[in-house]
Formats: sequence, C-alpha cells, structure tokens
Amino acid sequence: MLATLFGFVYQVADTFAFLILSASGLAIIFGMMGVINLAHGEFIMCGAYVTVLSARAGLPLPLAMLLGALTAGVVGIVIEYLVIRRLYKRLFDSIVATWAISLIATQGMLIVAGPSIEGLKTPFGSFEVGGLSFSSYRITLAAAALLILAGIYWLFVRTKFGVRARATIQNPAMARALGVDTDRVYALTFGLGAALAGLTGALYAPTMTTVPTMGSAFIVQSFVTVVVGGADVFLGAAPAAAILAFIQSLLTASYGQLIGQVGLLVTVIVVVRILPKGISGWMLRDSN
Amino acid sequence: MAALLETRGLTKYFGGLYAINGVDLTIDAGEIRCLIGPNGAGKSTLFKLIIGTYQPTGGTVLFGGADLTLLKPYQRVNQGLSIKFQVPGIFLDLLVDQNLRIALQQKSGPHEIDEEVDRLLDFLDLAQSRDMQAGNLSHGQQQWLEIGMAIALKPRLLLLDEPTAGMSPEETFKTGELVKRLNAEGMTVIVIEHDMTFVRQIAKKVTVLHFGKVFDEGSLEDIINSDDVARIYLGKD
Amino acid sequence: MRRTGLLALFDGPQTAWNGMSFRLCFVLAVLALATVPLYAEFFVVNNLAYFLLWTFMALGLSLIWGYAGILSFGQTAFFGLAGYGYGVVSINLGDAHGLTWVAFLAALVLPALLAALIGYFMFYGGIRDVFVGIVTLSITLVFETFMAQTAGPEWHIGSARLNGFNGMSGMPALTVPWFGGEDVMLDGNTFFWFVLALLVVVYLALRWLVNSRFGNVLVAIRENPDRAEMLGYNVRRYQTIAFVIGGTLAGVSGILYTTWGSYITPSSMGLTSAALPIIWVAAGGRKDITATMVATVFLIWVSQTLAVKGAQYALVLMGVLLLLVVLLAPEGLVLATVRGIRRVVLRVTGRRVATTAMAKRTEGS
Repeated sequence: MLATLFGFVYQVADTFAFLILSASGLAIIFGMMGVINLAHGEFIMCGAYVTVLSARAGLPLPLAMLLGALTAGVVGIVIEYLVIRRLYKRLFDSIVATWAISLIATQGMLIVAGPSIEGLKTPFGSFEVGGLSFSSYRITLAAAALLILAGIYWLFVRTKFGVRARATIQNPAMARALGVDTDRVYALTFGLGAALAGLTGALYAPTMTTVPTMGSAFIVQSFVTVVVGGADVFLGAAPAAAILAFIQSLLTASYGQLIGQVGLLVTVIVVVRILPKGISGWMLRDSN
Repeated sequence: MAALLETRGLTKYFGGLYAINGVDLTIDAGEIRCLIGPNGAGKSTLFKLIIGTYQPTGGTVLFGGADLTLLKPYQRVNQGLSIKFQVPGIFLDLLVDQNLRIALQQKSGPHEIDEEVDRLLDFLDLAQSRDMQAGNLSHGQQQWLEIGMAIALKPRLLLLDEPTAGMSPEETFKTGELVKRLNAEGMTVIVIEHDMTFVRQIAKKVTVLHFGKVFDEGSLEDIINSDDVARIYLGKD
Repeated sequence: MRRTGLLALFDGPQTAWNGMSFRLCFVLAVLALATVPLYAEFFVVNNLAYFLLWTFMALGLSLIWGYAGILSFGQTAFFGLAGYGYGVVSINLGDAHGLTWVAFLAALVLPALLAALIGYFMFYGGIRDVFVGIVTLSITLVFETFMAQTAGPEWHIGSARLNGFNGMSGMPALTVPWFGGEDVMLDGNTFFWFVLALLVVVYLALRWLVNSRFGNVLVAIRENPDRAEMLGYNVRRYQTIAFVIGGTLAGVSGILYTTWGSYITPSSMGLTSAALPIIWVAAGGRKDITATMVATVFLIWVSQTLAVKGAQYALVLMGVLLLLVVLLAPEGLVLATVRGIRRVVLRVTGRRVATTAMAKRTEGS
C-alpha cells in the first residue's frame, strides 16, 4: 500500500520534473519575448547530442552536460541574431520560421549523424521501496528541476541582467532610453531559453535513445505546460507543471500511457478554452 | 419622447478600480452629444460598453428601449449602432473601394452597391483615391474612410471616439461639417473629443465624465463656462 | 471594380490574376494536362495524379490561412480522418455497385463534422491567433498518437483493421458502375482524369467563393477582425465556415491519397506531415489560390526528385525554402516571382514607350 502511494508520488515528481525542465526554456522565450519557438525540441536534441558525444569522448558527465547546455545556448544566440530578430512584430512568421528551423535541424542531423548514435547509461542505479524499484537518477532530476527554478528566479529578480531583461520586455523603448542594449538583452534571453532546453536534453540524455527526432518527445509536453501556465514563468509554468503532472500520472496509473498522453493534450485544449491566458493570466487578471 | 440610447447605473470594474461607476446617460434621437473629460475618465470604456466589446459589471444599456446586454457587438451593429474607435481600424492592405464595398455589401444589393460606393466616395471626398491601398491614405483620409465605413450601414446612432485625433485644423473643420450633415440627415451622434474647437463646432449638448461618473451635463455654453469643469481638467481633483 | 457577365464571377480582388489572358492560359494548361495520358507512360500519369491530389489540402489551407487569416496546423488531422474513414467504410462495404462512392461521401462527412465541432469550440470560444495553431496541432498529435497505438487485432471497425503504426491497407479503388458490363475502376488514366476534373471544379468553385461577398468578408476578418465585427458581420460564423471548407478539402486529399496508394498510415498525421501543407502554402503565396496550387505541385515534384537520394534531403530543402520565404519573400515565391518579372517587363517596355514618345515630341517641334 505504502509502496503504491510512494510509486504514485514518485511518478508525479518525475513528471513534474520533466515538464518543468522541458518547459522552462520555452516559457522564458514565450513568456518574456512572445515568440513561439517551435525549434525548442531541437535545442533539447542539440544539448543531448553534444552531451553524449563529449561524454563518450572522455569528458566527465557533469562537464559534458554543461557543454551540451552551453552549445545549445550559443546556437540559440546565433539563431536569434540571424532569424528571430527580424520577426518580432510578425508572430505567424516567427512560428513558421522556427518550424522551418526545426525541420532543418532534425533532417540535417539525420543526414550528418544517421538515425541514432550510441547513448549513455543511466547513472546512480536504483533503489527499492516495498518491493518496487525506482531510478535514483530520476530523483536527482526532480531535485535538479527545483534547483533550476530557483536559479531562474534568482537570475531574473536578483541580478542586473534579470532586471534589465524584464525592463526590456515590458517597454523596449524606455529601456533603450535608459541605456540598456536591448539587442543584447534579446539575444541573451533567447540564448538562455535555448541553453535551458539544451540542459534538459543533457540531463535526460542518459535516459533516452539519442535520435534526431528526440525533441518531439518534449515539445508537446513543454507547449502544454507553457500554454496552461500562461506567460509568467513562476506564477504559471510551475503550478501548471504540478497540476499537469498530477493529471497525467493519475490517468496513466488508471488507464495506461496512451490515455495519460491524450489526457494531457485534452487538458490544454480545455484550458485554452476556459483560461485563455493560462493560469498566470487568470491570477493576474485584475491587476492590469 | 423615448430616448434612443439609455444607460442605467452602468458600472465596469477592472484593473482594480471602477472604470465606469454608475453612469446614467440619456441620448435622444437627433442629438449631437459630446462626451468630454480628462484622460482616464472612462469615455472610451463607456463606448466599449455601449457597443458590446465589454460586458458591464452592473447596470444596463438600452437602445430604442430594448436591453442590449445579451447581444454581441455585431448584433448591436445590426440593430442600428455603429462605432469608430480611437485607433484607426480600416483594412489597410485592401483598396479604398474594397473597404467601402465590404462595409456596404450587408445592406446593398449587387445592383445598387456600385452607386452606393460612388456616393460615399464623393461624400467623403475620396473619389480620386478609390483604387489606392487604404494604408497609403493620409491619416486624415484614413479617419474619413473609417467614418465612411461606420455610416455605410445607415446607423441610427453613431459613436465617434476622437475622430479628429491627428488631424490638421482644416481637416478637423471638414470633419465637423461632415458630422453636422449626417446629423441633419437624421443620424444621432455621440462624439468623444478633446479638441474644444471641434466640440464648439458641432455640439448641442455636452456630458462631462470624471473618474467614471457623470460630473456635469448641460448645453455647450453651460459646460464651457463652468468653473468646476475647468478645475477637473487642471487636475485639482 | 465593375463586374458584369458570368465569367466575371470568377474574377476579383482576391485572386491575383484575372482577365482574358489568364483564362486563356488556364484553359491551355488544363488541356495540356488532360492530354498527357494519351502519350505518356502509366508511371508518369500515375505520378502526376499523385502531385495533383495534394492540391486540395493546400487549397483548403490557403482559404483558411491566406484568406481568413487562421493559421491551422491541423489539416493533416482531417486528411488522416478522411483517409481512414474511406478505408473503413470501403473495406466493409466492398466495391460492387459503386458503393465506393458511399465510402467517399461518408469519408468527406467525417472531417466536415470534426471541423465544424473544432471550429465551433475554438472560434465561438474566443480562441484566436497562435492558440488556434496550438489547439489544432494538439488535435493532430492526439490523432496520430491514438492511431499509432491501434496495432492489435482488437482494433477494428467491422472487417477493417486499424493496424496501428503500419497503417491500413487493402482498401478498394474508386469504381464507377457501368451499365451492362464491368465496373470501371478508377486507376491510372481514369483516376488521373477524375482528379483533374475534380480539381478544375474545386478551383473554379473556390475562385468564385473568394471573389464573392463571402470572400470579401473573409479577407476583412483577416485584415481586422474587430472592424469586421463592427460592420455587423458574425466573425465567428465566417471563420467556422471557412474552417469547415478547408477541413473538407483536406479530407478530399486524404481520400484520394488512400485510393491512389491503397494505404493510409498514422505518420500522415505526424509533426513532419503537418508541416508540409504549411510549407507549400507559405512558399507559393497563401493569399492566392492559383499561386498555392502551382507551388504545391512544383514543390512535391521537387521533393520527390530529391527524395530519391533520401527523404531527409528533400525535407531539409523544404525547411530552408520555408525559412528563406519567411525572411525574404513573405508574400510567397510564386507571387514574388511573377511580380518581379512584371516589374522587369515594365521597365523594358516602359523605356521603349518613353523613347517613342520623346522621338515623336522632338519630331513634332
């Protein structure tokens, strides 16, 4: 009995971590810049591939993961400069453009690296509770998710960069008048979102097969979390991830994987209908 | 005589305050009413409540005696209301001719519509620009085009939100004459305006809004000469 | 814009090319295509039919996105639904006595109903802009996820097994019952002529629709939905109707695809497949149905040629193309090319006219 309960809590925590990690990069880019980045899954893939390749080449795993995140961040900055920058006023076009980038990245990776590369083993082994075994690594991931949330909060509320970034997003003209290099802020924010995606890929690389289309496993979940959460990362994405993790775990435990997945998608459809601005939009509704 | 438009205790709460706080307004058919007041008084909000973009927190809007609350904006337009918002709202990428055609095609059959378009173009003094992209018109011309679209449906009540914003004095005067002509042909008009010259040109009766309430109401002369009204503009409150 | 006469119904501001010279080109093009089976091999004709059958979905998306301004990622959901629908009904009913046409109609009703339901839910629920894209993409992925899980023998409707990831196959081709003799199966040349005829009918119908009052309101909604509402139009209703037409057209493509190859798989509703109609429509010029149609056929031909080396090369090129179009020629390549050519021609002929006029003036003085 206790084991089943622990199992359920574990499942919720695991899904919560997955959703938060998947969504954080997307939430920053969408929430702060209003850009729908359909290439989000490919930044995740980039982080995963770099991690796997550098770990296999001898780099210690934590460093390999860092490298994965950094690479994704740099690629993000480049893409922001080349493509996204021209499309800030054109929402539809930025959606289509990032979708094009996603297509180029996945098919390009297929051409360059083939259908899959040899992956990594999941570290830390497993532990047992009441006869059921659980992965210790995934507990680590749950802890990592919380750490990252704290890190994002600290960055945007306590550092100069964070304050400048939020000012630029709220009122770019004013920020520029106050001497903020808004171009640099946009590039760095997008790069940060990409780096977070890369970090997600890096963290999950030891638990998945490394294929060029691996990003697609994350993209639906991340979009769902961001849409349900609304534009604010903290007020929105975190509670959204918690609620969605609960819903998905409940449905999966009762009816299986498929219904769990479908349930998530149905949730986003319903939430968009009832709370068009997401959870954070609803919470902030009277303070406009 | 039954009022054409009536609001009773109209209230709208959002953003932590009462944007409109118990407004009782009565407009009779044939009036040109000017709605003035300092920024933030709630004038545009009032228009949005009348046309249905916003739902009131309390109170009702009656048009020709009928309660409008359940009607969506397009239904209110089909009842005889029409609005020109502050922010210009024409179809910028389409031709001037097309803009008017889309406005007219609801009420005009395929045989009359060509004449109607011509007539409107002449009325608005835009005949020579008919094949231009609407986005290429001057600001003043865009405003007139939009007014033209708003009157194409021959509404009983026309709401104009700062129609002369950004216009030169000549354009402003022309707009005033246009409004007076429409009124002479039987259209009731409510105008939100900041430009007191324009108000003097067209208004018969003036309502002053302040902090979401009706502060004062009366003939043009009374309002212009009122010390209280001058004070709220100078920010004493 | 004075329009008189029957032919003028197909002309108007919402189609880029109008008038006699265009009509002539159009008739010539149709005749040229119609005569291909008379001299070309089976493979070529069959391939041409393949190119043409996708255009219905592209035209539908052009209507929804280019004319009504609704970016839907969900056209492949209607495509797949109709394809599977045809498979299920035709496998169960068989192909005698023209029953395949019952399957055809039934399979069209499905996406129409789904589109009506989704459209009502979205537009009457106030879902706008990017969230329409998210909802429609989610629905497509739900379908794909669901169908991919239907591998076991317990997943069947009547005698039609859904077959999960591998997809459904073995459905009969469309057959036309012929009096006093064998049923005519639409295959090869006959299938090609059927698709071509259907395309001409649909294209003309759409030309009429977008240039009509309905079409005027659609573009008004695309340009400024609030102003359209304030002119007394029930914006939601127009959006839903456009969405239903677009979804049904995607269904036409789905049915034709299924009968052409006698199979339908869940991957036709996956993320990559959902991107393809967006690419064709954006690259061609979403605001014009003719540009869309031409671009779709061209791009599918290009992809097919490249796919010989590997599908991924074709897709990378599609991605690059889409990116370039968005950044450099957002109105679409076909439209941009034609406008560019026209500008060059004008400059050349313009100069000639000026020289003649100047020559006449100097002569006269």
